[in-house]
Formats: sequence, C-alpha cells, structure tokens
Amino acid sequence: MTSLSSAVALPSSCRARPAGSSRRARMVVTRAAASSPKLPNGRRLRVAVVGGGPAGGAAAEALAKGGVDTVLIERKMDNCKPCGGAIPLCMVSEFDLPLDLVDRKVRKMKMISPSNVAVDIGRTLAPHEYIGMVRREVLDAYLRSRAQTAGAEVVNGLFLRYEAPKEPNGSYVVHYNHYDSSSNGKVGGEKRSFEVDAIVGADGANSRVAKDMGAGDYEYAIAFQERVKIPDDKMAYYEERAEMYVGDDVSPDFYGWVFPKCDHVAVGTGTVTHKADIKKFQAATRLRAKDKIEGGKIIRVEAHPIPEHPRPKRVSGRVTLVGDAAGYVTKCSGEGIYFAAKSGQMCAEAIVAGSANGTRMVEESDLRKYLAEFDRLYWPTYKVLDILQKVFYRSNAAREAFVEMCADDYVQKMTFDSYLYKRVVPGNPLDDIKLAVNTIGSLVRATALRREMEKVTL
Amino acid sequence: MAMATSTFSPRPATLRTPRPHSHPHLRLVPSPRLRLRRLARAAGEAPVEVAPPEQRETEPSPAVASNGTASKAATTAVKAEAVPAPVPSFRDARWVNGTWDLTKFEKGGVVDWDAVIDAEARRRKWLEDYPEATNTDEAVIFDTSIIPWWAWMKRFHLPEAEKLNGRAAMVGFFMAYFVDSLTGVGLVDQMGNFFCKTLLLVAVAAVLLIRKNEDLDNLKNIIDETTFYDKQWQATWQDEATGGPKN
Repeated sequence: MTSLSSAVALPSSCRARPAGSSRRARMVVTRAAASSPKLPNGRRLRVAVVGGGPAGGAAAEALAKGGVDTVLIERKMDNCKPCGGAIPLCMVSEFDLPLDLVDRKVRKMKMISPSNVAVDIGRTLAPHEYIGMVRREVLDAYLRSRAQTAGAEVVNGLFLRYEAPKEPNGSYVVHYNHYDSSSNGKVGGEKRSFEVDAIVGADGANSRVAKDMGAGDYEYAIAFQERVKIPDDKMAYYEERAEMYVGDDVSPDFYGWVFPKCDHVAVGTGTVTHKADIKKFQAATRLRAKDKIEGGKIIRVEAHPIPEHPRPKRVSGRVTLVGDAAGYVTKCSGEGIYFAAKSGQMCAEAIVAGSANGTRMVEESDLRKYLAEFDRLYWPTYKVLDILQKVFYRSNAAREAFVEMCADDYVQKMTFDSYLYKRVVPGNPLDDIKLAVNTIGSLVRATALRREMEKVTL
Repeated sequence: MAMATSTFSPRPATLRTPRPHSHPHLRLVPSPRLRLRRLARAAGEAPVEVAPPEQRETEPSPAVASNGTASKAATTAVKAEAVPAPVPSFRDARWVNGTWDLTKFEKGGVVDWDAVIDAEARRRKWLEDYPEATNTDEAVIFDTSIIPWWAWMKRFHLPEAEKLNGRAAMVGFFMAYFVDSLTGVGLVDQMGNFFCKTLLLVAVAAVLLIRKNEDLDNLKNIIDETTFYDKQWQATWQDEATGGPKN
C-alpha cells in the first residue's frame, strides 16, 4: 500500500503511471536520456524553432533561457492570424504577460440559440476574472521579442525543408529563404541553410516541418473572420461582451462569433463539414448580429484552417511539433493560443532538461517526454470538449438544450473554472447528478419540440 | 392580408404563402388518435382552440404595420440604405415580453400545455426561417422546463408507447410460439426458464433501442464516434509501439 502511494506521488516522468496512459509512461522510461553523448566542448545544443507564433515564441524563449542555441525562423513578422484571440486568465500569469497586451477584458459572454434564447455566461465571475482578448500580431511580436531578449536569434525567413542526418547524432540541415528586413520580402529572398541538432515545428496548420517528417494529416475546420470597424456607440455594447451564435444557419458544427478587439469587432464562423458553404455561414452570422454591427466597415477579411485533432505522428527523431502544427486545438471552443504556447514551453523544457542545459545531445525519448506530459495534463480537457461538441453541436435541438443548460450557475462556474485556470475541478457530486438529469431533460424537450417543428408549415 | 404580407416581406422567394382554407392547427397533429382526442376535448370544453387570426399573425409582418420595437427597426432600416426591407419580427398575441402568456392558453381553468408546445414549435420554426429576426434586445425568458413533464409524456411518449408495447407483445408472442414448437416447452414453463427470461430482456432492450431502421446505423455510428477522437490522439503512441526506437 505504501509503495503504491509513493509511486503515485512521483512525477510522471519518473515512474508514476497516470490513469489511461500507462503504456506511454512505460515507453518513456525504457530509454533514459542520461545515455546521450556530451556535445564537443564549447558547443551548445542548437535548435531551430520554425514559426514565430505563440508556440514558437514560447519555445524559443524557454530554450534560450535554458542555455540552448536557438534560432527562430518567421516569415511574416507582422502576421495577424485570423483568430478569435481569446486567452484564459492563467496564461497571463503563467507567461507573465503585461496587462497592456490585453485589449479587452470580456466578462460577459452572450450565447444565442436559434430560437433567440440568449444566455449571459459570466455571472459567476469574480471581479478580477475575465477572458482576455488580444491581437495576435501584438501577442506574437511580444513573445518573439522576449525570446530575442532571452538570447534567441530571430531570423526573417521562409522555412523550405530540412535534411535528416545520415548517421546517428548527426546534424539536421535547415534550408530557408532569407529575407532582409529592408526589402520586406518583395524580392524572392536568398537561399540559406544552417545546421542544428533538433527542430521544433511551430509553423501552424500548414506546417512544412510536419510534411517533411511525415507526420500525417489531420482533419481541419475552416475559420472565416471579418474585422469590422463599427461606430463608437455600437462598440460600447461590445465593451466587455463577446457573442456566440449557435444554429444550423451559422454553422452546422461550430459557432459564429462576434469578439471585441481593440477598436473593432471580429465577426466570424467556422465549420469542418461544410467548408464550401463558409461564405453563406458568414452571411448568416452577420445577419444574426444585424443592427449591432450595422454600418460597420470591413477592414480585413481572413480565413484559416483550424486542426481538429493531433497529427498521427508528433515526433520523429529529433524533430517535433508544437501548437497548431501538432494539432492542439480544442473542439467545441476552438481554443488554441494557450495550448500552443504551453506546448512550446513544455517542449522546450523537455529539450533543456534532456540536454542538461544545452550541454548534451537530445534524443527522441526526450521529446517524447514532452508529448507524454502534454497528453497527461491536457488530454482530459480535450476529451471533455470533444464530447460536448459531439453532444451539443449536433443539431439545433441539441443547441437549444446547450443554451438552456448554460443558464445554470453551476454550469457557468464549472465552465469558467476549467477555461480560465485550465484545470478540471471535481464538482459537487449532488450538483453533478442534478446537472446530468437537467441536461437529459433539456435534450429530450428540445428534441421533442424539434419533431413538432418538422410538422409545422408556416 | 396574405398578399400584402408577402409583398412587404424581405424574402418573398422563401416565404410560404398561407393557405386560407387549410386549418393549420390540425396539420400539426397528424396522428389520428391525438386528433380525435383533441377534437373531443375541444368540443367538450371550448368551441375553438386557437382563433385562426392569431395563427396568421405569426406570419412575418412588415415592421411598419406594427408598433414598439419594430418601429425602431424601421428607423434603422431607413438610415441604412442597403437594407430595403425592414427586419421582420415575430408577432403573436400570446407572446408577451419574451414569453408565452399562459393566461391566454387557459381552457376551463387549466393551461392547455399542448397548445403551448404547438406555439413554441411554431415560433422556433419561424425563427429558423427568419434568423435575422433574432434580437438580443428582446430577451426570451420562456423556458421549456415550465411545461410539466406529464404534458411532454402525454404528447410524445404515449403514442410511441402504444407502438412499442404492441411490438414487444408481437415479438414475445412469436418467440414463445417458436420456443414452444421447437422444444415443446409450454408458455407457463417458459416463464421459469432462465434462457427464456434472458430472451425476454433482450427483446425489451431491442424494442426500446431500435425503434426505426435508422436507429441501427445510429447506434453503430455512436459507438464509432465515441472512440474516434481517442484513436486520433493515441496515434503518436501506436506508432512508437510498432516502430521501436529509431535513432
């Protein structure tokens, strides 16, 4: 008995076997990193981080801080990715973000069902709690600059491909197009290459690193977003508020959103199953928001793929993937910034630990430690959101039930706790049972009404 | 009235013109059993269940013809030249301040919940056709949970229950018949038999779960779906198990 409890108390990287991942844990234990050869004297471990988003920025910073020679390659330094831009509260403290990065503090989340039932989620929030809205171009640039301060070299370039080493412990060769900051990418760029010991692919959904390592594909959703500048009086409504529209008209398997940004709102929607109809869904989202964004000027239109699940392979040799490139976006809420930054950080920490602060060679097993730890920490979150999406985004009837449920204070509290702090807090069992019964009740009622609606002709 | 509405309405192509002769109410309940019950009740307690003019009022009416919030919508429409038609808005005499006024559903002193369900289904259907009419200013406070459970039961389970009971009885009868003809064990003896009891349970479960042919596929899909995401996440580790160490 005592031996059992002491084993559980150990960190998972040593011996503990967390529920559901016993096989992974064993896998990691079989090959310890201590056997890796020391690097020739004077030389530090060299790592290329491909992509300068939250994942790449966080990874590069942690690597540089850990004494690893880090090069970060990013093509578009001012890239503003189409992205809701919502970050949970715990990200601000965990990554030490300055508060002026947060444009808006959303404290009211309005969720609107097809039958116009609107629920304000956020009544249970404490005064200091909020969902932060950031502009990606600002957040990304900030994280990159921090990486640079920590000692990482930031290169403006387009990653082309890498060459795997022929012999074990050999170097990877990274080929890229170098762009001078003065020419600003107008000219073709200059082909360059350099040698590294490991590669962290943080280059998003269309990852070239993933392609080179044969990571396989994932199912993706397409997100479409328009940034709309609306008059100040209309903007006042969105001061602390974000809106989520659910319904078949807006998206068959996701939601439409109006998110407040610094001086404008982002109106968008996403879908996996009906990508060709995305324009139609966007029009429907606009129609639902109607006079709240009426007369607004569209300042930018964006579209981007969003991964639905991790790639079949996330590590190969000394190459690994983080962030969107790996496929770490939750279902249901479509959140990815926090998980990207976190995976980048965890990956970097694993490399730093495996290389003994940049003095030893790393191995695949070191990178696998990051995967094991990430899966252990966040897999339950992903799974719960997957179930929620499957149950509640299924049809309009299910969405009605979802909105009905969200009106409940207990649900709101649980949702926000898990969203803001990224930890699954066990609730009160009695409340849980009540919730389960209410949920089934809501679903049954909504489905019954649905059947009735099919018979109605207007 | 119907003509005027359709000329003013924003999407004439999709607007279904109301047929004045049809009685919209009866079409809501195709089940003859329910209809009979309903008619009988209507005859006994009140002459007309819902006045037809009210039904027509739920058609998309031009905002100009109405008052209150709709006139506000009309003014915004004037400001924005791009929108020629005013925003339609859901109207029904029984829909008051975002909820169904239950006093208007009263019949013989009790609320006619069937009519409330009808009205809500109609409202939802209408809003699906006119999503632009959804408006966060007009908050909906009607909650379907105020309709008591027995009203749902009566309406949605009872007609089904009869079918299911009938089906279970038929399956049971033929099973008993075949068991008897094959083994010679009579009906009374079968009751005490373990094998037959198991068969009974299987039959009941099957009747409950498989109500339509599509249910078979649905069940299969659900089983696939629940494990699909797990497989996608496990893929990285599967690869390791078969491939072994590489470097």
